[in-house]
Amino acid sequence: MMGPTRFLTIAGFAATLLAGTAYAEPVDLTVWHMEQPPHRVQRMKELLDEFNAAHPDIQVKQEPQSWGEVYAKAPAAFAAGNGPDLLFTIPDFTTVLKGINVVVPVDDLVKDLDSKHGFVEATLAPYKYDDHVWAVPAYNMAISLWYRNSVLKAAGVEVPKTWSEWQAAAEKLSTDGKSGIGLPANKQLYTDQTVYSFMVNSGAGDLYNDDGSIAFDKPETVKAYDFYSKLAKFSPADNSTWTWGEAEACFANSSCGMILQFGVINTYETQAEGDAADLGVAPVPHADDESASATISYSNAIMLTTKDEAKQNAAKVFLTWLLEPANYGRFLTMEPGLFLPVTNDGAKAESFWSDKTVTKYKSQVETMIANSQTGKLFGFTTGKVFPSIGAISAQNVIAETLQRVVVDGQSAADAARPGRRVCPKSPPNSGHAGERS
Amino acid sequence: MRRTFGQSLSLYGGVLVIALAIGLPFWWVLTGSIKLPKEIIQRVPTMVPHSFTLQHFEKLLQASDFPIYLFNSMVVALFSTAFTVLLALPAAYAFFRMEFPGRNALYKTILLAYAFPGVVVLIPLYGLFAKVGLIDSPVALVIVNVAFALPFSIWMMRSFLATVPREIEEAAIVDGAPTTTILVRILMPLIAPGIASVAIFAFISSWTEFLFASVLIVSDVRRTIPVGFAGIIGQYQIDWGLLLAGATAAIIPVVALFALVGRWFVAGLTDGAVK
Repeated sequence: MMGPTRFLTIAGFAATLLAGTAYAEPVDLTVWHMEQPPHRVQRMKELLDEFNAAHPDIQVKQEPQSWGEVYAKAPAAFAAGNGPDLLFTIPDFTTVLKGINVVVPVDDLVKDLDSKHGFVEATLAPYKYDDHVWAVPAYNMAISLWYRNSVLKAAGVEVPKTWSEWQAAAEKLSTDGKSGIGLPANKQLYTDQTVYSFMVNSGAGDLYNDDGSIAFDKPETVKAYDFYSKLAKFSPADNSTWTWGEAEACFANSSCGMILQFGVINTYETQAEGDAADLGVAPVPHADDESASATISYSNAIMLTTKDEAKQNAAKVFLTWLLEPANYGRFLTMEPGLFLPVTNDGAKAESFWSDKTVTKYKSQVETMIANSQTGKLFGFTTGKVFPSIGAISAQNVIAETLQRVVVDGQSAADAARPGRRVCPKSPPNSGHAGERS
Repeated sequence: MRRTFGQSLSLYGGVLVIALAIGLPFWWVLTGSIKLPKEIIQRVPTMVPHSFTLQHFEKLLQASDFPIYLFNSMVVALFSTAFTVLLALPAAYAFFRMEFPGRNALYKTILLAYAFPGVVVLIPLYGLFAKVGLIDSPVALVIVNVAFALPFSIWMMRSFLATVPREIEEAAIVDGAPTTTILVRILMPLIAPGIASVAIFAFISSWTEFLFASVLIVSDVRRTIPVGFAGIIGQYQIDWGLLLAGATAAIIPVVALFALVGRWFVAGLTDGAVK
């Protein structure tokens, strides 16, 4: 029989536990993402409200940021001790924050999620190095070739698959003051992306040699620049000032017969004809001597950036919830026709395909998803990640080299040489962030 | 001297070209904000709208946080303006009239501070404000705006003070007026255009400030217009109508301020420039 002292001790302990449970503060998580347009913020709010209601012990709040400032803002915030617990990222941003030791590896979580949902390998690869996985892929974006079926048909042009077919198509579509294709030549990220989508299709996808030196002026790269400059002649004259929006507008108002873009569906639907049957999308054509198309893709992911164990566990609960197919489709369709699934079951999720825009442009979205599976990203292709990729991205070295060809009139071979000088060899040992596992 | 016909033609032609160069972009933004999306992105822009819609303003005010950004900007700009004027006036008077060791050196140092690029002090300032708990606070923006507007404001204000005849101050001193009375009761009314000029300068500097507002403010509900608006526009997909409506709405307070006191601003600049 239990003595009074023992009984009181157990009762006291139980009471303490119960009281602790009853009055336990929920774990607060702050998410920084760069999805600032109002409809995306609204969709995130809906999802977070739903998660918070279903998980009273965890409260997640969003603080939308901008890609333009987050590279400076996030390191400052972490240094001051008020950084977020979860932070959206792209591969080169992860290397920046990993460099200041704020990113927590998510190997176990990714392993669990991979076994449940099956990550598309191309979305996971840019975050796997130094024997760890540094972020959980969230959505993918990949460049495709966009056109109007009616315009190609009227010009007697088939959807181009190779560069020679592509050039012939651009030439034929350049009539009545219209441009056969809209390609940017600005010293800006969009140009980096479009040029790289040529490079991966001429066998020049690897920017680095194994030792960290830049493999920039090799024949395949020169070939890509050379062909880009030929196609750019069929682009509007103001393309040296273009970003994504100008290219989309050029396509939406039918001034450009074809463009390379991550997605045009939203603009086409709201600012152009909105005729789903006429909107065409295809893989980026490849060089004649290559056998298949590839593209540039940005795997957007979410980093865990808190050292607090309770918050880390709460963040894992949240990320697991987010990637559940019932929720994940609604996350992706915050920008329907642009954000693509990173998981195999996400690509089949009812919550994704039931979105009215995705439903209307189903065949286009299917093609986009298929294209995204062949995606690569400059600096993240060789199995090693080198720190100088940050400088290459920040200084738009790829686009700057193109400007030398398209704007300054240099030969592609000459233009690629300074590009090599801009990107010095990374120092040995400390020179690489690590090998991909 | 009378102008010849050719001179008049050149003069008015030149004025017209400059007016068009300045006015056409504004006209395009204003008219674009009321066009339908298809017309906005037409290959050949229509200078006179063929369509009319308020859908972009509706979306701006109802589906985005633009009204909050507008309010935040107004609060930050008004406080920044008030503190800039309140500090610039006595500081300028001290530099202009009072004798103290190192006056000239300090005056030049202040102007040097004006030439200092803000981005250089961005990270240290972030750390400083984080330590005192001012991150994500409009107070931080007011402090930064005042700090950056003050050097030029002092310089402007000092030039205005120089236009006031010394005899007026001497008469007040003979009547026994202390320094503060001279400054507030005698000089302030006389340099009212100068104060208006400094106020407008401080207001516009604060209204358009982007760099610090983008880094020091974290939450969406505390953002000012330049930063909040940049986010609304989007990156890969641009809503041109929303962009133009936002640009139109953002310039209305500045235009209204200029309409009220702009005359003083221009007069003030020239008065202050010529002693």
